[in-house]
Amino acid sequence: MKWFDHITESISRKVAQNSSRRSFIGGFGTAIVGGAVIPILPVARAAEGHGGGQPTAPIDGAVDDPASCDYWRNCSIDGFLCSCCGGTSTSCPPGTEMSPITWIGTCKNPHDGKDYIISYNDCCGKTSCGNCFCNTNLLDRPTYRPHTANDINWCLGTSSAAYHCTVTLVLGVATKKA
Amino acid sequence: MKKRFIIFLLLCICNTAVWSDVANDKLGVIGTLPLPYPDHWVLAHDVGFNHMLNGKVIILDAEQQTRNKQYKGTYDTSLIASVAIAKTRPEMYVYETFYTRGNRGTRTDVVTIYDKASLNVLDEIIIPGGKRAQMLPSDFTIHLIDDEKYLLLFNFTPSTSVAVVDVEKRKMINEIDLPSCSLIYPTGKRGFSSICSDASMVSYQLDKKGQVKNKSKIESFFSIDEDALFERPVLIDGIAYFPTFNANLREVDLRGDKAVPGKSWRLRTEEEAAANWRPGGMQLSGADSMGNLYLLMHDGGAEGTHKYPGAEVWVFDVKNQKRVRRIPLIMPGLVVEISQDKSPYLFVTNVEMNIDVYDALTGKHIRTMSDFGQETPLILFSAN
Repeated sequence: MKWFDHITESISRKVAQNSSRRSFIGGFGTAIVGGAVIPILPVARAAEGHGGGQPTAPIDGAVDDPASCDYWRNCSIDGFLCSCCGGTSTSCPPGTEMSPITWIGTCKNPHDGKDYIISYNDCCGKTSCGNCFCNTNLLDRPTYRPHTANDINWCLGTSSAAYHCTVTLVLGVATKKA
Repeated sequence: MKKRFIIFLLLCICNTAVWSDVANDKLGVIGTLPLPYPDHWVLAHDVGFNHMLNGKVIILDAEQQTRNKQYKGTYDTSLIASVAIAKTRPEMYVYETFYTRGNRGTRTDVVTIYDKASLNVLDEIIIPGGKRAQMLPSDFTIHLIDDEKYLLLFNFTPSTSVAVVDVEKRKMINEIDLPSCSLIYPTGKRGFSSICSDASMVSYQLDKKGQVKNKSKIESFFSIDEDALFERPVLIDGIAYFPTFNANLREVDLRGDKAVPGKSWRLRTEEEAAANWRPGGMQLSGADSMGNLYLLMHDGGAEGTHKYPGAEVWVFDVKNQKRVRRIPLIMPGLVVEISQDKSPYLFVTNVEMNIDVYDALTGKHIRTMSDFGQETPLILFSAN
């Protein structure tokens, strides 16, 4: 992918001048890096149709870093990571409200090789955090199947629909279809 | 004597030039835009992803070489608004959300109507219930139908519904609850279709009061898991062309009262399939006025890459099911739009969030519009 080399060079050279564009574009850049440079996590592995199997050691610490787009739970996220916004990967920043309604993803934990159902709850009620934008889309599908659609603003059921950031809550181990 | 007279004359002229005052200016002069907008103007909706309360549509003239000449004007949009631009009226519609205290307080959803020439607010229509769907911008969360007499609005709470607005009367006249279906694909004389969560579709025809006259269910016709339809088709002569995740194109005929799924054809050769060329992006598809479909494509695709930027735009003659050209991009793109004249421009929001302008017929890069105060122009609209 020649364009991949072009985009990383271009982003590092030019985008740093504009922090708000960079935070948005960096999410795409990081996702591309995740897909192209580290091919076994998470995209290609899912493409192989593996629902389980032997765990592999992470290639670098990013898969264990909740502030990274490559964090294993972040395989289908779209938004700002609450870990970079005064919250954590499982808790909202102060003064926000966690949406009770959301989309879900299925991400493989590289340490035990199991697929986990991840609930991507939005934290709402304040303007965008602006840090650590990620857009990874494993098993994401369009809006017509909402529970797997991350393009929707899921600040629903909250007192304000203003979107701030997203957490990643484990709901359970995914079970294979019979 | 003559020499002295000439010197005297020159002194008088110089004196006048140095000492005359700058003329007074008139207070309160406001610009207006020409109608119709020139064909190579483009409207970029910058949703302001880092501060969604303050989005805006920026109107640009892609024929101009410098930013100051490109920049024509703006109008505001709030909280990832849905925007529709009329072709037969000098109006633009913004379905948006406001809170009484900025990002909090009491919520009001409105359709704000802007005048194309003055960019002033002409009117607003309150849409009750606070149900507006907020999602990354699309042509299918808001749509004009029946010669632009009615405006349809997609709501999501997550229950889904479509509000029907009578544009001339400036009034919401109905709200249609949908059975777990989403989005608005214009269908027939005065109707729409939506795709449902089981890969079926539902179609509605409305009467002049916006009430449902008939409703049709179309059985499931694709696999969401194996080869999902992108939710952004291209509409050409009443037929919707949906690209799919695995690089097929599915036709759905929307000319009659109900949607009729049609043929599916491949967008890539065996070799290109082996290289995993796939569609991807945000507003990843568009059409010119000559029956050609434009699609952002990336190679090395796999499950999860359907929002990757495209390295190329592939152009297809949809009637003959044939690719007519490949346009390599100078910078990968996320958004495409094509002007509707006979010498079309291809506009691409690239990964740096600048807008690259190409000759759509030759693929030649003409210029890049950059540094016009934009941050996230995630959808583009051609002027006409």
